[in-house]
Amino acid sequence: MAEAVLDARLLPLPLIEGAQDDGTLNKSLNAYVWQAPQRGWLALLLLGMAGTGVLFSAIALTVAKGIGLWGNNIPVGWAFGIINFVWWIGIGHAGTLISAILLLFQQKWRTSINRFAEAMTLFAVMQAALFPVLHTGRPWFAIYWLFPYPSTNSIWPQFKSPLMWDVFAVSTYFITSLLFWYLGLIPDLAALRDSSTSRRARIGYGIFALGWRGSARHWHHYKIAYLLLAGLATPLVLSVHTIVSWDFALSILPGWHTTIFPPYFVAGAVFSGFAMVLTLLIPARRYMGLKHVVTARHLEAMAKVMLLTGLIVEYGYLMEHFAAWYSGNEYEQHIFFVTRPRGPYAWAYFTQMFCNVVVPQMFWTRWARRNVWTLWIGAVLVNVGMWFERFNIIVTSLHQDFIPSNWAMYYPTWVDLSLLFGTICFFGTLFLIFLKFLPAVATSEVKELNHELAHGAE
Amino acid sequence: MRRFVLGEFTEPDACVEAARRLREGGVQGLDAYSPYPLHGIDDALAIQRSKVPVVALTGGVLGALGGYTLQWYLNSRAYPINVGSRPQHGFWTNIPITFESGVLIAVLSIFFGSIFWFFRLPRTYHPVFESERFRTASLDAFWISAETSDENAVADLERKFREAGAHKVHTVAEAT
Repeated sequence: MAEAVLDARLLPLPLIEGAQDDGTLNKSLNAYVWQAPQRGWLALLLLGMAGTGVLFSAIALTVAKGIGLWGNNIPVGWAFGIINFVWWIGIGHAGTLISAILLLFQQKWRTSINRFAEAMTLFAVMQAALFPVLHTGRPWFAIYWLFPYPSTNSIWPQFKSPLMWDVFAVSTYFITSLLFWYLGLIPDLAALRDSSTSRRARIGYGIFALGWRGSARHWHHYKIAYLLLAGLATPLVLSVHTIVSWDFALSILPGWHTTIFPPYFVAGAVFSGFAMVLTLLIPARRYMGLKHVVTARHLEAMAKVMLLTGLIVEYGYLMEHFAAWYSGNEYEQHIFFVTRPRGPYAWAYFTQMFCNVVVPQMFWTRWARRNVWTLWIGAVLVNVGMWFERFNIIVTSLHQDFIPSNWAMYYPTWVDLSLLFGTICFFGTLFLIFLKFLPAVATSEVKELNHELAHGAE
Repeated sequence: MRRFVLGEFTEPDACVEAARRLREGGVQGLDAYSPYPLHGIDDALAIQRSKVPVVALTGGVLGALGGYTLQWYLNSRAYPINVGSRPQHGFWTNIPITFESGVLIAVLSIFFGSIFWFFRLPRTYHPVFESERFRTASLDAFWISAETSDENAVADLERKFREAGAHKVHTVAEAT
């Protein structure tokens, strides 16, 4: 009797394509670092730096002239500043999920993308951190009043506020991500040091490699330190965005004061974060020659995570609306059933709903999960949708709060728009510099994975 | 003056096996080098259990206790602020920062403890770097080294390495 052959569609896609060994992986993964900068990279860098200039000008103006240059008013005291803060922090969470949580779940598809994603997290958190400082109006006091240090006037912060919890959460998150990323980089910096052809490169990478020699005695501690850092970074993904959601949930404003926010925000963060990873990874893998390690399997897995978290976010939307209706509270019902879908910002509401609810549904089909164009366009739209979700939460809830005499429209100014556009360009610039000087793929981890796969070890 | 006998392997399993044989054959001061952690090398070289988890736990507990105490002391004793008659000391409102400071101190102690204490890095010079061929240890080859201060033992060690299957066996001396 003939043996049944497994249908090709049921076989898992390869994690590493082609027959690779340590030598070929080393060459192909570090090739982009060694080659001379190409025109595309230079052009993008120039654009990014121009945008960064716009950012710094907008920051300088904000600090010099004050929040009057922003569109904020009463009642809309929080607008673009806080929308951008939440959006960037949310984007950052995917990197930590990929590096830390997928490591604990022993998901092999994390290996080629974790360095890339973790770098994205660092740069995203840097962008996010600008806004809580700037939005205070007198940012030179922000550091004084937020951090508990012994000051000459003996003032201490009020720790019962979610805004203070944010300070600790975001600082811890940034430091943890940075140290975890750097620890992972050390063996790869050693590889770059040892394969460098110029003295300057050898010294440069050598300094940051700290003298790593790949000693088994060091690897012994390293493996445990890496696992522990992953284990500590994991609850941070959940706690940081939960604390950010409490900035809203611990208030009394209709549209903000709801217990669904922590899980809804965390899922939304992972959703937008994976969308940003896909947005960056799809062009990067093509232009940097990484298709053999970032395969269709990785892209498909990311699309599935996006679909899953998108569904959780949709559940969050459903619950918000349901709880508002079920509560019978006229203010809650007004926000969810009058202001958002039928008020002056209804176009923002439907943009959010289209991008976050309708667009991800295409990822139910295998075709959409494997087509780089649907993935890329879908990812960009998800990021746009998530920005508008924060806009809807913050601006529409504020602009029509309890008493109609308090209502007012919000319009962003060009400074607001420059800050948003500028942070995107600054993020891009930092990312391009990272891609040029550091290995975008965790070389030693991929070699280890390749070895495991080749020897059938599980 | 310390000398290091070095030998290269192209297969990770061969390297681990050779390390085991050399250690069981009585060679002291052994170490192995690889671009990624080798399976079974901890047993082969009889490396003790790592103390990193202890450092992590200590850091975490100290951070959490410190964070909680800081909040309690500053908000209840040093500078109490009346915010809508809320209690000065809030157990539940102290939790988020306690958790975050616990994680932060644990992370700092793992990272700096590993680098400075467990790895004894930064140390950009080490005698094994005297060998240019050794550079492949971080790229695609696997090496074993045996440290000795006795000049006369070198020839014997090199022989043992060759018997264990190492290629490019050579010795380097620490630069004075």
